[in-house]
Amino acid sequence: MPKTPTRRFALQAGLAAAMVPVGHQAAAQSRPVTKVLDFTTSADMAKAEQEGALLFYTHDGEAGAAAAMDAFSADFPKIKASYVRAQTGALYSKILAERSAGRFDVDVIQFSDVGTAIDFDKRGAFETYNSPQAAFYEAEFLSDPAGHYFCSGMTFAGIAYNTDKVKAEDAPKAWKDLLDPRWANVTSTKQSTSGMQFVEWYELRKLYGDDYWKAFSKQKPHGFDSRAQLFDRLAKGDDKICALAEWAAYVLYHDRKAPIAFVAPEDGLPATALATGMVTKAPHPEAARLFIDWLMSLRGQAVYQQHPDLLYGSVRKDAPPMPGGVRLRDFKLLVPSDMQDFLGARKKFNADWNAMLGLL
Amino acid sequence: MRSERSAGPSAQTFVGITVIWLVAAFVIYPVFYLLQASFDVGDPEARPPTAYGFDNFEGLPKYWEIMLNTLYVSFAATVMALVFGFLTAWILNRTNVPFRRTLEQAMAVPYYVTPLLGALAWSLLGAPESGFANQIWRALGGQDAIIDIVSPMGIAWVMALFEGSVAFVMIGAVMKSMDPSLEEASQINGAGRFYTMMRVTLPLVTPGVLGAAIFVFAEMLGSFSAALVLGTPVRFYVITTAIYQLVAQYPPRIPLAAAMGVSLFAVMFFMLFFYRRIIAHRSYVTVSGKAFRPRLTDVGGLRWVLFAICGSYVVLSVVLPILTLVYASVQRLAVAFPAVGNFTLDNYRTALTQNAVRYAMSNSLILGVLTATIGVALTGMLSWLIHRSRIPGRGLLEYIVMFPQAVPRLVFAFGMMWAWLVFPIPIYGTLWLLLIAYLTVFLPLGVRTISSVLLQLDKSLDECGEVCGASWGFRMRTITMPLLRPGLLAAWMLLFIASVRELGASILLMGPHSQVLTPAIVSAWFGSSSELTAAMALIQTVVLGLAVGLFTLLTRRASRQGG
Repeated sequence: MPKTPTRRFALQAGLAAAMVPVGHQAAAQSRPVTKVLDFTTSADMAKAEQEGALLFYTHDGEAGAAAAMDAFSADFPKIKASYVRAQTGALYSKILAERSAGRFDVDVIQFSDVGTAIDFDKRGAFETYNSPQAAFYEAEFLSDPAGHYFCSGMTFAGIAYNTDKVKAEDAPKAWKDLLDPRWANVTSTKQSTSGMQFVEWYELRKLYGDDYWKAFSKQKPHGFDSRAQLFDRLAKGDDKICALAEWAAYVLYHDRKAPIAFVAPEDGLPATALATGMVTKAPHPEAARLFIDWLMSLRGQAVYQQHPDLLYGSVRKDAPPMPGGVRLRDFKLLVPSDMQDFLGARKKFNADWNAMLGLL
Repeated sequence: MRSERSAGPSAQTFVGITVIWLVAAFVIYPVFYLLQASFDVGDPEARPPTAYGFDNFEGLPKYWEIMLNTLYVSFAATVMALVFGFLTAWILNRTNVPFRRTLEQAMAVPYYVTPLLGALAWSLLGAPESGFANQIWRALGGQDAIIDIVSPMGIAWVMALFEGSVAFVMIGAVMKSMDPSLEEASQINGAGRFYTMMRVTLPLVTPGVLGAAIFVFAEMLGSFSAALVLGTPVRFYVITTAIYQLVAQYPPRIPLAAAMGVSLFAVMFFMLFFYRRIIAHRSYVTVSGKAFRPRLTDVGGLRWVLFAICGSYVVLSVVLPILTLVYASVQRLAVAFPAVGNFTLDNYRTALTQNAVRYAMSNSLILGVLTATIGVALTGMLSWLIHRSRIPGRGLLEYIVMFPQAVPRLVFAFGMMWAWLVFPIPIYGTLWLLLIAYLTVFLPLGVRTISSVLLQLDKSLDECGEVCGASWGFRMRTITMPLLRPGLLAAWMLLFIASVRELGASILLMGPHSQVLTPAIVSAWFGSSSELTAAMALIQTVVLGLAVGLFTLLTRRASRQGG
């Protein structure tokens, strides 16, 4: 059976920690813990309800963002939860522009990749909040120092193929099988906007060297930004192979009886973590703390794991299985361990990947 | 009389100054921030910029291939759109083609449709492997693909059908206001119908056609959806897909995207300069003091051929895409020959239970009505200032007004965000911000539509009123406005529809309580499935169609009562 995720989600290099202003570390608190519904929280419930609102910034799609807010509002009807969504790059520019203009409307923010969270943290923009729920997470899934952000879910990707066009015995079983000339012009992948694509590029380069991607570029892959377009094309036979098949999207299309199959290569599956945290100067601080606790709890994680518009694997120690009965630990996940090296490689990835797709 | 005359210039000056100030605030204010960003070579996330330089512009030449691709599809799509637009506008406005009114209404439908939907529909129809048309072709024994929409010409085709349909409305508005006596004179002198159309009708509507050409070309330069859906599968990229990449990736490269966007204005500048040179030395007046009743030319048996031309356009741009989308939206996984178990209404159930559809739709409609109503007044005044007033710098005003059209909205939205974030009145994050954004980005649409009609009005009509002592306001109300009526109505409708389906500016400027619908549809396309996207976009199209139908009904009733 594949092993547990072994790499650190958080900063190994202490990069962010070194840059965090002392001021808001002082908030490292010993707040009273109370039980609400079926989870523990250090938020002041009365104040949270008095604040009556929560604003969540997220990279998620419209439906996913709305689902998370609806679920939270259903549990806490006195807190009106709303969201603003945009792609990570645009979302990041938006919040930084707002903050530099002195606007602080946001309470909690979620990024699709840790790199963005680290940069945000370097700017001292995450509030420190040590949630009682953190006890249910390994340290590697919490920021370093803990309390700035945590891994609210994980996505991972393998290979998928169209079963009408490719026989099971011919299908690629390992990442290197993607280099077979028969998959030239019929393979799809994601564009450089995808954090997951960055992780795949980084991890496979580490495993097989630079030559792997040079050989892959000869396959003339088709790059897409949309998960739906990737799987639509695969399901309908426009592409035969998907070289970055997210498990969550596979589950959705499999449920719709699409003729597709998923392959988990033995060398491992690139995985990326969502990073969620409370921001400094949040206008509804207690509601924000309550939301963080809720999202870290089994209750919130169930929503993230089960809702068809979210489907993120939970890294909580006691997380139940994902839809389809599998758990994250059933897969060997490839997560960058040296964050400094990983973040430093982004520029090269953007340039190489765009050049490979003939884009920029 | 004397007092009305003396009140004239002051009212005129007051309105003129107010409008110029508004335009300056709406356009120049965000443009300043955009220019600032395009020269930003410091930390791209630091505001205000920490260092300035030309690096972003110096880097542009290496994207020459993308620029060339953009010009290629934009040019091809503009030519197609103008040919369709002129031909169909002439047939429906100047001939006695059968079912004229029904065709006219059907012709406007592609414009209600979110461009993504058109691209999606044609992708479902004409993708080489999975396209319904190609699946049917192979089922009938054909080989390979009968249509390949996933190509540069496919992109231009979809852009022309869905985003170029504005050309039909713009040229149509001009033709409606044209005195048919000139065409009749040509025919009485022995010229054939085709000769008359080419030598009399076409030259007379030149400002309308040129105005539409500039507008459509700019629209094509900024077109995103068709290139996204149909270009990426064949690794064909245009400037908007490149900009999207720069904005959406981490770290975002907004200064480079801003430089790309600002550079596009140079292209527009030359086109506008060319347009002004053409119209400056000629008269296009067809509405003069002489009374006329718009008459249709009897084209005899040819009317059925013309009907077939319009009918084919309607089938390709409306019937086929809508049927394809309806067919796709009731399947779990859209295929040409689905099993019975594949049919479902789940996509509609999901769409209708989404907050976006329930709440965002009303925001979209409110914004549409406000943008169209305020926009028509504003752009009507602007057109008048540009073409009729004697204020200094009116030529410059026209260039300024075109700026939001020339720069892709994905980039222009950043300029607006930075500008209105620091504005002392707190409108950021509210519906008001979206209203200002829409008024700004649709200034060119309104000005082009109304200007085309305004240029056809003989100045002597207004001067006649002035000689009789009527004030400027009175002349506007009783002479200019009634004569501009077709142009104003067309502009209202276009602004309304354009607002409801707006995407680029809304994505960045929506606040938590000012969500609108189109971004949700695009989000479904990115994150869910094309079947759900089809269902959501069809719902939007139906609601928009009903709203437009209601507007048409009300204006027709009002004009009957007025008459």
